[in-house]
Amino acid sequence: MLITCPYCGPRDVSEFAYQGDGNRSRPDPSSTDLAAWNAYVYDRLNPAGAHNEIWQHAGGCRAHLAVVRDTLSHEISSVRFAREKGAPAHGRRKSGAKP
Amino acid sequence: MSPRRRPSGGRIDRLRTIRFTFDGTAFTGHQGDTLASALLANGVSLFGRSFKYHRPRGLLTAGVDEPNALVTVLRGDVREPNIPATMVEIHDGLVAVSQNRFPSLAYDVSAVNQLGGKVLSAGFYYKTFMGPVVGPLKGTRFWMLCEKIIRRAAGLGRAGHAPDTARYERMNAFCDVLVVGSGPAGLAAAREAAASGANVILAELDPQFGGSANWSGETIDGEPAAAWASDIVGELRDQANVRLLKRTTVWGYYDDNTLAAVERVSDHKASPAKGAPRHRHWTIRAGKVVLATGAFERPLVFPGNDRPGVVMASAAQRYANEFGVLPGDKVAVFTNNDSAYRSAVALNNAGATVATIVDVRAEISEECHTLARQCGAELIVGHAVTATEGGKKLTGIKLAPFTEAAGALSSGARSVEADCLLMSGGWSPTIHLASQAGARPLWDAELQAFLPPEAGKGWVGAGAFNGTFSTAQAIAEGFAAGRVAADLAMVEIGTLPDVEPAALDPRPAPVFEIRAKGKSFVDFQHDVTSDDVRLAHIEGFVSVEHLKRYTTLGMATDQGKGSNVPGLAIMAEALGKPIPEVGTTRFRPPYAPVSVGALAAERFGDLKPERLTPMHDWHLDNEATMYSAGLWFRPMIYGGPGETIEQAYVREARVTRETAGIVDVSTLGKIAVQGPDAAELLDRAYSNVFSTLPVGKARYGLMLREDGLVFDDGTTWRLGDNDFLMTTTTANAGKVMQHLEYFLDVVWPDLKVHLTSVTDQWAGAAIGGPKAREILAACVTGTKVDNEALPFMGIVHGEIAGAPVMICRLSFSGEMAFEVYSGAGHGIHVWEALIEAGQPFGMVPYGLEALGTMRIEKGHVTGAEIDGRTSARDLHLGWMLSRKKPFIGSAMMDREGLVASGRLELVGLVSLDNRPLSGGAHIVEDVDMDNPHGSLGHITAACFSPALEKYIALALVADGKARHGKRAHVSDPLRDRFGPVEIVSHHFFDPEGKRMHG
Amino acid sequence: MVEQLSPLAAVFRPGSHGNFVDGVGVTLSEMAPGSIVQLAAWPGEEKKLIAAITSLTGLKLADGAGAGAASERHTVFGFAPGKFLLTDTAEGLVSAAGVVTPAMGTITDLSHGRTAIRVAGPRSEWVLAKLFAVDFSLVAFPQGSGISTAHHDIFAQIQRSGPDRFDLYVFRSFARSFWKMLCHASDEVGYEVR
Ligand SMILES: [Zn+2]
Repeated sequence: MLITCPYCGPRDVSEFAYQGDGNRSRPDPSSTDLAAWNAYVYDRLNPAGAHNEIWQHAGGCRAHLAVVRDTLSHEISSVRFAREKGAPAHGRRKSGAKP
Repeated sequence: MSPRRRPSGGRIDRLRTIRFTFDGTAFTGHQGDTLASALLANGVSLFGRSFKYHRPRGLLTAGVDEPNALVTVLRGDVREPNIPATMVEIHDGLVAVSQNRFPSLAYDVSAVNQLGGKVLSAGFYYKTFMGPVVGPLKGTRFWMLCEKIIRRAAGLGRAGHAPDTARYERMNAFCDVLVVGSGPAGLAAAREAAASGANVILAELDPQFGGSANWSGETIDGEPAAAWASDIVGELRDQANVRLLKRTTVWGYYDDNTLAAVERVSDHKASPAKGAPRHRHWTIRAGKVVLATGAFERPLVFPGNDRPGVVMASAAQRYANEFGVLPGDKVAVFTNNDSAYRSAVALNNAGATVATIVDVRAEISEECHTLARQCGAELIVGHAVTATEGGKKLTGIKLAPFTEAAGALSSGARSVEADCLLMSGGWSPTIHLASQAGARPLWDAELQAFLPPEAGKGWVGAGAFNGTFSTAQAIAEGFAAGRVAADLAMVEIGTLPDVEPAALDPRPAPVFEIRAKGKSFVDFQHDVTSDDVRLAHIEGFVSVEHLKRYTTLGMATDQGKGSNVPGLAIMAEALGKPIPEVGTTRFRPPYAPVSVGALAAERFGDLKPERLTPMHDWHLDNEATMYSAGLWFRPMIYGGPGETIEQAYVREARVTRETAGIVDVSTLGKIAVQGPDAAELLDRAYSNVFSTLPVGKARYGLMLREDGLVFDDGTTWRLGDNDFLMTTTTANAGKVMQHLEYFLDVVWPDLKVHLTSVTDQWAGAAIGGPKAREILAACVTGTKVDNEALPFMGIVHGEIAGAPVMICRLSFSGEMAFEVYSGAGHGIHVWEALIEAGQPFGMVPYGLEALGTMRIEKGHVTGAEIDGRTSARDLHLGWMLSRKKPFIGSAMMDREGLVASGRLELVGLVSLDNRPLSGGAHIVEDVDMDNPHGSLGHITAACFSPALEKYIALALVADGKARHGKRAHVSDPLRDRFGPVEIVSHHFFDPEGKRMHG
Repeated sequence: MVEQLSPLAAVFRPGSHGNFVDGVGVTLSEMAPGSIVQLAAWPGEEKKLIAAITSLTGLKLADGAGAGAASERHTVFGFAPGKFLLTDTAEGLVSAAGVVTPAMGTITDLSHGRTAIRVAGPRSEWVLAKLFAVDFSLVAFPQGSGISTAHHDIFAQIQRSGPDRFDLYVFRSFARSFWKMLCHASDEVGYEVR
C-alpha cells in the first residue's frame, strides 16, 4: 500500500503510523459531558468501505494526514494535511452516535 | 557423454563438466543443467517418495510447477528442504539429497502405506485424531501418541537446525513498467515499453530469458525462436532504462502495484561473490505490470499417473530441446489436445522412438494425423490410458477404448511397452498474480481453463496468460501490452510475426479423469487422489474452499499449479454442476516458496538498529554489563571482580548515598518545545501547570492519556519564554512525541508550537550524593552551583573542561543531585571530567540496577507502575491534577471506576523473612500453596535496599494505603516463593526529602 | 572550543573494503559540519523564512516541497512542511541565525544531535535503495532536493548533493549502527571509507 503524502509524495505504508478514526471530534476541553467524552475516547467507526482515517507520516515529514481509504480494497481516494481545516471528504459523524 | 544426452542443442555448455552429488553418489552434468536435467541425463528416474503413501516418484515437469522431485540442498550444515530439482542449477560441489524416504530412496519401509490406502484417505487425520478421548485408539490423546511417528512418515523434507550464515538482502525498485515473464509475449512487451523511454524491469524466474522460445522449436521471422529471444534480450541489455532480472520469481502482488520478488543471486554458484547476497528480496513499485506469465500444462488423472517415467508432454519437449536430454527411449503419448503432438515430434527429432499416441478424442485434426505420421507413432484415437506398469520405473501402459459419455470401456484393452509416457491434459494460464491482485478468473469452456478477466487497473496481460497459445498472437499481445503499460497510443501492429510451424487448435477435449481401478493422483505433492475428492463430496463438502482444506488439495508447496483445475473438474462432476459454478480458489502469495532469509534480509544478527549513548564506549571500557532498554543499551552494573549483580548494585547505591555516584541519563527522551504557545501546549498536555514556571527553572510534570489514566512523567525545563526542554521516560520518548504531534496537528492546529526530538543532541550525566555539589563545584566554571545560584529545580549554564554545559538540580535518587547536559559530541569529554573530579571523593559510576534500587527506596514510579491501568491517584500523584484548567485526560479521570474503592494502589513491601522478592509475584492475605488464590495485587519492582538493609518492593495492592502496617504474603507459585511481607508506605527512605533539598 | 567526538570513531576504517576488484562502487565519509540547525516556519511564514535563509547563506531556494541548495559552506533543504535543515562548515550557526525572528518561526540546534554521512559514487542509488523504500533516481529525486524517510527505526533526512552523491542526516545515537549497515550494504559493490 502506498500513501501519497502531500509533502513527500507516494511512500510505502511502512513509513506511516495509523492514528485512528478521523471522524472523531473532541468535545470542548472544559465540557463535562461524559457521554460525549466517552464517545470521543472509545467509539470508532468500522465501516466496510470508505473510511476517514488519520495517518501520521511518522517515518517521513511527521505530518498527520486525513486519508479517505476504502477498507475493502485499500484504495485511497483522498489525502490532505490533517491540520488544514475543513470537513473530511467523507461523511462526518456526530459524537455519541453509533453508525 | 551419457546415453540420454543429445550431442548438441539446448542451453547447456557441453564443454564444461560439473561435478555434484545426489544421495551421496557422484554425478556429472554440464553448465546450464538443472539438477533434474543432469540426473535425467545420468539415467536417474527415481527422485523422491510421495508425501503420504511413499510411492516412488520421478520428474513430472521441468519447471517451477514440479510437485514430485523435491530435494534437500545441503550447504555445509545448512539444509534447505523442498526445493524442486527442476529449479536447482547444478554447480561444482552441489550436494543434494532426496526426501521422505527411510532408509533409502530405493528401499523405503513406509511404502507399506500404499497397501493401507483406504486408511489414509481424505480426512484421515481429522477422523482419527480429533475430538474427545473415547478410547485408546482414537482422539486427541492418540494423536499425541502417534504424532512423532506420523510427522516423520508423512511429510516433506526436514528443516535443519544449523544457523543460516548466508547473506540476504532487500532492494527497493521503482519502475514505469514491470514485465513478469520473458517468453515471446513478455519480450515483445518489454521491447515496446522500453522503446518509449519508460523505465522497465523484466523479471524471469528461470536462469535464461526467453521462456518457451528456448524449447518450442519454432522459428520467428525465419530465425530460431531462441535466437530471436536472445537478440531482443541483447537489445534490452544495452538500454539504460531497462533492468533485466533473471532467476527472479515475482511471487506477490500487493496493493498499489507493489510486487514482491526474490532473486536467487548466488544459488547457482559454489560460493557467492564477495559481499553478494544469496537471495535478494525485491520490492517493486510499478506504474503498470505486464503479466506474461505463460501457462502450465496439466496432468491427466488416471490410475498410476504418478509412476516415474510419466511426464508432462511439454516438459519432455523442454528436456529434449532446452537441455538436450531424452526422458525416455521408447515413448508413448497420452493426450486430450493437440499440443502433445508437437512434443511427440520434438522427442522423435531428438532421437526417441515414439511408439504410440493415445488420444481420448475419437476424431482429431488433419494436422495431428500428419504430426503422428511424422514421428512414426501408432495413433490410437478414442482410447485412454487406464493403468501404468512397472515398479519404480515405467515399463508400459494399458489402454482401453474411451468415450466422453461412457468413460473407459473394459473390453478391448491392450498393453503397450514404453519407458516414458508423455501426458497432456490441456493448459492452465498462470493467473496467480492477477488473482492475488483481486481479479476473479473466468472459466473458458472452449479452452477448458480459467482465464484472467479484463485487464485490471494496474496490470495488462499478454500471451498464454490470456489463453493465447499461438506464439504469433502472443507476440502481438505483448506488443500491445507494452504500449498500454507505457501509456502509449495504440497502433496497429501491422502484420503478425511469421511463426513456423503454425499454431495448432488450442481446444482440449473436456476430459480430466479416466476412471479405472487404482490410485489416480490429482495433487501429486500431497498425494490427493480423485477418490479423495469424491469422498469429500460424499461427506458433504460442497464449497471448493472446504474441499481444498479437507483433502489438502492444492495446499502443498506447489500450491496446486497443475492440480487445481483437474481437482475442480472432478468435484464439479461429483456435484453435477458446471465447473464455473463450483468456482476456483483465490491464489495467495507466495506464487512459489520464498526463503525466510530473504524476507528477514538485513533484519537479523548484529545489523539490528542499536542506539548508543555518547558514553557507550566508556561504559564498556569500565566493566559495565550492558542491557538493552528498547533499542538503547544502558549499563546494568559496573561489576567489580567476583561481584554478583546484587553485590554490585548494592555497592553502587550505598556509595552514592554515602558520597556520590554518577549515571548516564542520555537516553531520557528530550523534546524541544518552542514557540509563543509552548507554555499553553504544556498546560494542556500536563496535568499540572507550566505557564507559571519561571525561565531557568524546571518542574516535574505528569501526563495523562485521554482516558484519564497516567501516560508518562518527566521534568520540563524552561530555557526561555518560548523555549522549553521536555524530558520523557526513555521508553516513552517516541510515544510522547507522537502524542503531542497529534494534538498539535489534528486537535489544536492553531497553536504556534514546534516540537523537535533533541534526545540525541544532548549527553546527560546525573551526579548525586552528599558530595555531588562539591564534585561539581570542583569542575564547573562560569557559574556557581551553591544553593543560591542553583536551588532545587534551578538551571544554570557553565562549562566543564571547556565544553558548554547546562545543569539542572533535580533528583531521582533522593540525594542532592544534578543533571549535567552537554552537547552529545562533548559527552565523553564532560563525563570523564566529572569522573576525574569525583575521584578524590570516591564517587562511583552506577548502572540501572542501582538507579532502580534508589528509586524504589524513594517510591518513585516508572513504567512498571505506569502500566496503562493506573490513575494518578492510584500512584498517590493526585496532588498533581490541577483543578484550575482542563488538560488531556481531565474530563475522564474522575469517572466512577477510576475513583472507586478497591483499586490497586501503590504501596511499599518489606520482606519479613529476609528473602528476595521479585516482580510479578502476587500479594495475598493468606498463603495457600496448593491452591493459590485471593490475589490482592502484585509486585512491580523489587530490590535489596542498602539504606534499609532489607529486601523491599513496590507493589500495586487493592486499597493499598489502608493496609499500611498490615501483614500480607507473597504468593509466587511459578518461582515457588511464599512468605510474609509487611505493607508500608512507598516512601521507604527519607520521606521528607531532606537529603535532596540539602 | 572542545572538538566534537564522532560517534563513528570506533567503526570508522579508512580504506577500501568489500568487493572492489572492479573499482569502488561508493565512497562513504562523515561530513562533520560545524553546525546543523533546523529552521521551522509558522504556517504562512514560509516565504519569509526562505528569504531569511537566503540572507544568511546566499543560497536561493525554490518554493516547493523538498527544495534545496548548496554552496561550499552551506547546505539547506526542506524536509517537512515549513521545515528546513541548514548546515554550515563553521560552528555557531545557531547564534548567527537571529535573522529568523520569533514571528517567523523557530530555530533548533542539532549540531550534536545529527550525524552527517555522505554516500558518493556510481552505485550510490543501488546501495541506498537497499535501505530505504524511496526512489533515488535523478528524475524522482533531483539534485539539491531533500527528503525525510526511515530505515526501520532510523530516521534519515537525505539531500542529493550531486548526480551520484547523497548526504544523509541520521540521529547520532543510531549513527554507528547505521554506518555498519551502510558498510554491509556496500560490500557487494566495493566501497572506500575516507
Ligand atoms: Zn510526508
